[in-house]
Amino acid sequence: MKTPSHFRYVIITLICSILGLAIIVQMVRINYSVTAQNLISKSEEYLGWEQIIYPPRGTIYDRSGRILATNQIAYEVGIDLKYVADPESIAFTASALLGLDYATVFAMASTEKVQEENRYFVIASFVDEETVHELQTLKQNYLDRRQAQRSSTPSLSGLVWTPMRQRTYPEGSLGANVLGFYNYFSRETAQGVYGVEEAYNRLLTGKPENVYISNDPYLVEALPEIAPGASLVLTLDREIQAMVQETLEEAIHWSGAEGGTIIVVDPETGEILAMASTPFFDPNKYWEYEQTFPGPTPYNKAVGDAYEPGSVFKVITMAAALDSGVADLETTYVDSSGVYWVEDLWPIYNWDGGAWGENDMTECMQHSLNVCLAYIAIDLLGEDLFYDYVQAFGFGRSTGIDLAGEANYPLRLPDNNRWVILDLATNSFGQGIAVTPIQMVAAVSAIANEGKMMAPHLVRSVIDNSQQYNVAPQVISSPISAETAETLTQMLHIALEEEASNALVEGYSIAGKTGTGEIPTELGYTSNQTNASFVGWGPVDDPKFVVYVWIEKPTISSWGSEVAAPVFKNVVEQLVVLMRIPPDNIRLELSAN
Amino acid sequence: MKNRLIQAYKQAPWRVQVQWIGLFLLGLVLIASVAGVYLSISAQAATSGRKIQSLGNRINDVNNEIAVLTTRYAVAQSTEKMRTRAEDLGFVLIDPQTAVYLEVPGYDPDASLVLAPPRTNIISERPIVQSTYRLSLWDWFTEHIWQITDNTNEEGLLP
Repeated sequence: MKTPSHFRYVIITLICSILGLAIIVQMVRINYSVTAQNLISKSEEYLGWEQIIYPPRGTIYDRSGRILATNQIAYEVGIDLKYVADPESIAFTASALLGLDYATVFAMASTEKVQEENRYFVIASFVDEETVHELQTLKQNYLDRRQAQRSSTPSLSGLVWTPMRQRTYPEGSLGANVLGFYNYFSRETAQGVYGVEEAYNRLLTGKPENVYISNDPYLVEALPEIAPGASLVLTLDREIQAMVQETLEEAIHWSGAEGGTIIVVDPETGEILAMASTPFFDPNKYWEYEQTFPGPTPYNKAVGDAYEPGSVFKVITMAAALDSGVADLETTYVDSSGVYWVEDLWPIYNWDGGAWGENDMTECMQHSLNVCLAYIAIDLLGEDLFYDYVQAFGFGRSTGIDLAGEANYPLRLPDNNRWVILDLATNSFGQGIAVTPIQMVAAVSAIANEGKMMAPHLVRSVIDNSQQYNVAPQVISSPISAETAETLTQMLHIALEEEASNALVEGYSIAGKTGTGEIPTELGYTSNQTNASFVGWGPVDDPKFVVYVWIEKPTISSWGSEVAAPVFKNVVEQLVVLMRIPPDNIRLELSAN
Repeated sequence: MKNRLIQAYKQAPWRVQVQWIGLFLLGLVLIASVAGVYLSISAQAATSGRKIQSLGNRINDVNNEIAVLTTRYAVAQSTEKMRTRAEDLGFVLIDPQTAVYLEVPGYDPDASLVLAPPRTNIISERPIVQSTYRLSLWDWFTEHIWQITDNTNEEGLLP
């Protein structure tokens, strides 16, 4: 017999069970509903976020450790809608301090906050520290005023800024043609452009890492240690570079030239001490690149522009003649008519059209006689020997300098259908052949360095992962013997002294050669425009520098001896001080002690 | 004897109740202890997590400050500024003909520059969050039991 209380127990039990079951069913339903899935996925967004951490780009130093390129802090300014209380104040401030359009910023700051993806707007990037400081002060002033007046406006709440790295070049345009630039505006696609920045882009950039940053304090991990990009120590000397740029600028102004290039090299190592080329450019404003370098203008003419060098190339022809033994210091050439006929078809004239009589090899170089050099190339050397030497000096191929944008104009060799014997004659004095200034400097450096041609380079050391790796100088070829180099150096030294050249520097023995290259047009050598150049090295007994000067289309005079030689002298006079090279008599006295 | 004991307990039912109450309270204390340990560890883990975040931000701030100072230093040492400063101090460019040259034994102007290694933080081999905070209570408990056992073995207290 079941009592009434038993039924009550049963009913209560049933009700409780049903309630419990309903709760469980509801829990399961809530957990697996579409809304729940949306909520779960949204909650995962708040757990943390993935971020690419970019290591700071490596610093670039000159050879003495002075900074040429580094990273400064700039700011990204944005609007965080969650906190915006006064769109008008934000728009007004952005307009006044950041130069932004009031209406645009106001529209952004007034955006409905319902759409989560529109929470944050970037309104300005790479804002400088001073401007951000002003924003900060203004924001604080508004806050203080609101607290004092107990009002909600004016307010800059929601106007936020976050630091970001910006490439900077503290020296401005100094060495810019060598450095290149870093187009940092778009971080994802930013890369080094031209110069060292491009050539060593991967090293300088380092390795970005993708990391997960958790908001959950239980899952927080220390951020991984990301090594900065490698730093570079260049061979450039900042003081010499500054002097060379200043001298080049003055020379262009003085000579009424279109442009110019000066390179200073240590012939023993191939280290580039200075490399200046017009137009000058401030890489801090890299977006003005197209205005500064319109059309096909090379960024660095020292490596990116090939031109007909003119008589400076006679140094190479004479080196070939002396080294191969087809000529020596006693060899003479009799210039009886002032013209040399190539296969009785093409006449070659001297620069002044005159006949210079009997000249030995030193005098041929001293008077820069085209007919003499054409005779040497055609009658003494022949095309095979001549072009073998020209190629041994590195012409017709890149020097491999560690800069982006090196140009190379291939040689027209005898096996080319378009080659004629006239080419051999004109090539011997630097016409009908195109070279880059760096090719010319590298070749001449071999003469200044006992016949050993060093690889021209700009990076002296790489600092990566706290280790410094020094770049060892490399011999890339030995086109002539040490004896030939010595003989040619003495020959060119005497030639300069005898000529009383404008390139001579008091107290210092210099060897060198002027060049005046005619600029061809579509109709041939019909213009009066020239490329004036000078290449010289010293001190003659122990060369410490090779200086190459190229002045484009000077108007004050068309001759290298009148335009480029004085510029060379001006450079060397300052260079010997900066390189601490005493005058010859003092140096020899010191070394004798 | 056995029958007498059974008889005695049957005669005192409060003893059974006391036993149950004791067992219940023991369970309660155990659960409270476990909850306490969990709470303590959780609190410390959360604090450590926040501290890591804060230190991470501080590292970024310091790196930014270093970048700012490096740039300022570079600008202050730039050719243009140095030249202006030198001129303001009355220095003029030297005339090579009037320069006095002295030989300095051992001085090598071409000596390769050795720059101090760039700033890098010391990478700690130890994780910042102690392993204790990553373990479940059971793992922590067994690990410590093993440690105690190992220590005791090392000290030779047990055979």
